[in-house]
Amino acid sequence: MKKVITVCPYCGSGCKINLLVENNKIVGAEGANGVTNEGELCLKGYYGWDFLNDTKLLTPRLKQPLIRRQKGGEFEAATWDEAIEFASSRLKAIKEKYGPDSIMLTGSSRGTGNESNYIAQKFARAVIGTNNIDCCARVCHAPSVSGLQVTLGNGAMSNSIGEIEDTQCILVFGYNAADSHPIVARRILKAREKGAKIIVCDPRYIETARIADLHLPLKNGSNMALVNAFANVLINEGLFKQEFVANYAEGFDEYKAMVAKYTPEYTAEITGLDPELVRQAMRMYAAAPTATILWGMGVTQWGQAVDVVKGLSSLATITGNLGRPNVGVGPVRGQNNVQGACDMGALPNTLPGYYKVSDAEARAKFAKAWGVASIPAENGIGITEVPHKIHEGKIKAYYIFGEDPLQTDPDLAMLRDEFEKLDLIIVQDIFMTKTAMTADVILPATSWGEHENVFTSADRGFQRCYKAVNAKGDVKDDWEIHSLMATAMGYPMKYSNTQEIWDELRGLCDLYTGATYEKMADLGYVQWPCPTEDHPGTPWLYEGHKFDTDSGRALLFAAEWRAPLEQVSEDYPLGLCTVREVGHYSCRSMTGNCTALQTLADEPGFVQIHPDDALKYGIKDQSLVWVSSRRGKVITRANFNDRVNAGAVYMTYQWWIGACNELTVDHVDPISKTPEYKFSAVKVEAIADQSWAESHVRVEYSKLKTSMRKAALA
Amino acid sequence: MNRFVNAVPDKCIGCRTCEIACAMAHPCSDEEIGPQNFQPRLIVERGGKITVPVLCRQCDDAACVKACPANAIIFTDDTVQVLQEKCLGCKTCVAACPYGAMNIVQVPAEPMPGNFVSHRMRAIAQKCDLCIHRAEGPACISVCPTKALHLVDRKLMASPRKRTEPAVQEPTAEMKR
Repeated sequence: MKKVITVCPYCGSGCKINLLVENNKIVGAEGANGVTNEGELCLKGYYGWDFLNDTKLLTPRLKQPLIRRQKGGEFEAATWDEAIEFASSRLKAIKEKYGPDSIMLTGSSRGTGNESNYIAQKFARAVIGTNNIDCCARVCHAPSVSGLQVTLGNGAMSNSIGEIEDTQCILVFGYNAADSHPIVARRILKAREKGAKIIVCDPRYIETARIADLHLPLKNGSNMALVNAFANVLINEGLFKQEFVANYAEGFDEYKAMVAKYTPEYTAEITGLDPELVRQAMRMYAAAPTATILWGMGVTQWGQAVDVVKGLSSLATITGNLGRPNVGVGPVRGQNNVQGACDMGALPNTLPGYYKVSDAEARAKFAKAWGVASIPAENGIGITEVPHKIHEGKIKAYYIFGEDPLQTDPDLAMLRDEFEKLDLIIVQDIFMTKTAMTADVILPATSWGEHENVFTSADRGFQRCYKAVNAKGDVKDDWEIHSLMATAMGYPMKYSNTQEIWDELRGLCDLYTGATYEKMADLGYVQWPCPTEDHPGTPWLYEGHKFDTDSGRALLFAAEWRAPLEQVSEDYPLGLCTVREVGHYSCRSMTGNCTALQTLADEPGFVQIHPDDALKYGIKDQSLVWVSSRRGKVITRANFNDRVNAGAVYMTYQWWIGACNELTVDHVDPISKTPEYKFSAVKVEAIADQSWAESHVRVEYSKLKTSMRKAALA
Repeated sequence: MNRFVNAVPDKCIGCRTCEIACAMAHPCSDEEIGPQNFQPRLIVERGGKITVPVLCRQCDDAACVKACPANAIIFTDDTVQVLQEKCLGCKTCVAACPYGAMNIVQVPAEPMPGNFVSHRMRAIAQKCDLCIHRAEGPACISVCPTKALHLVDRKLMASPRKRTEPAVQEPTAEMKR
């Protein structure tokens, strides 16, 4: 038996795992002593690898290229030559007829790695000639990236995961670490054990609330009002660091004026919080010698998200909690490599290394390196804009790489309608998914565990994954597929391994220059910026309080609070908020094919509802119910839950039958274009005939699995 | 004194890693792990304010041992064990257990004289066996990412300081609430 070092392919905690391999088969996993996980793993790390054995529990692995020659026809197996010819000739024709910007592409924030994301965006920019490339950061932490880039200069966590346990106060805002990042939750527990104060702002009584000194159960959709009230208290009670603000920040006067009216008394009606509790929270936060703010989707998945991120950044700034160890701002990234996909430029406005596409000097550098005349200067479009651009006839082809938008994006019925209008859908993935089912051509790739790569964890840490087993079937590494496509389209692209790609990348990006494969060997951990080969990497940013903004100062910012778009009504009296299931990841194509994880939690999932609401609508605990919004209707199981607030219900987003994205509203933050997954007006209805409902779930689930299996094995 | 696995609610984040480890350490049959063959012997309970795995206390004055009409539950090696081959599946132990730690599960069975067998399934009582068959000790303890589970044994209990120290420790956040 051999042990192969890898990084967990699930959340962004960056846990190092030893995969136990026998005869080209993984037989187990144990925690390796990585920088972030210190030998510990959660259930996904321990039991999340057997999808590699093609268990076919949910969907089969894709093992051969598939072509659908006619819309609405059946998939047929194809050779790589046929599939590449089919995909590239059609893509080329669309580019010639409608221009490069009629093509949309995605990077993949999942198990594929940084090198393949670099190649995917190079394919978009150098081969297609468009900045229309994006990744699922759009639907998660894009507001953190947009907001923090403006206020501090970098869109990532300012400090390290390991530092969380040595901070003396943690302000947890819209972040359920126990379900999203158990290994980060562990650091919060350790901080508490070392005496840190914990403040939790969340409508639910989440696990961290249990160990918190203060829990602020704010009303869903009141984030900006609460953050403004926090600033108001810090300023009016003189709790902020005047000297720090004078020396290192800018915009204080406008900031102070904006938050002036947001007294805790003024915001009480919006937030539902006792003004005294708000004051106590800020006295506690400001009194701590070191304090850290952690946030998650509870901040970012709103129509007003970038503003709130900037507001949280401003709280850290005016209390001097930046530019030293054990402090800072922590948007904890959800997908294992969403930080990496952003780092690699799988974003419509930045090149690898966060050079803006509007930066002529950077464009010239990349164009020269890539051997093309120019790179487009206009920002491309984000994935949440895709349905609208298809509707307007501006997007004709969609090259989807390692993502499942027909499961994870909002308002699925609308999205399906728009997908039907596309001339060409290319899906490059490891499993048959709901999105792959709509493809004209499917390009099957090797999985995490079957290739080498680098991931970036949530705290900017580059780590290497080694190859554990050989892939079965006629599949190729993602970067090789993109290279074949590029070559077929007249741009010869050839690499012999990932290190060659990595070295090209770090030669182009000052932030990553020193992050060599050698430094990342085994358990090596290199946090960007790492500008030179003798540089150890940067655990915490903004040394000397020099911020990476144009002025070198941290920008203070506040905005007027805006209510969520949808309001509850008599017909739809409850606010639906979509959340995470600890044992499943993203669209579930990987964890749904892991025996233990799938057995622990399966269809149709749950709608968490407060018992008082359940009583009001005649719902029985554990019964199947209809949940409907103005856009759709799904069946799921009621979960009476004292920890959720009355007036809101909560569903997780990975189920096919209980697919909450059939219900969610397509409303986005105006800057980051991130959907308001956290608030859609819904109703919950009892189903009288429970045996019909149980059978309905079984039949529908089985039908979906059968059709996807049949398609994959064409 | 019997040894037992103790869970600290303040450290539990409800991630259920222990449940899977337990189920994987105790397959009910030779089949691959799946819905029919996934029987964790500890359950992570989430109450209004508490999250904690609930499992057998290995009582020294065990109600289940006294209640079992088949003498299928015995004291051995500082633990309480269910002798599966003797179990009738009568559920008397389930009713007797004050912790709700005993569970009745159906396992595949070949018809055998003297067993209550129908449809090639057999009902048996199961509970935490402290992974007595496992050299490394209880599987749940080894995987818990927050170290919320630990073994309390004769040695630990015999140390007066370790046993009584908590009485003078600062109350935890949970206790304060």
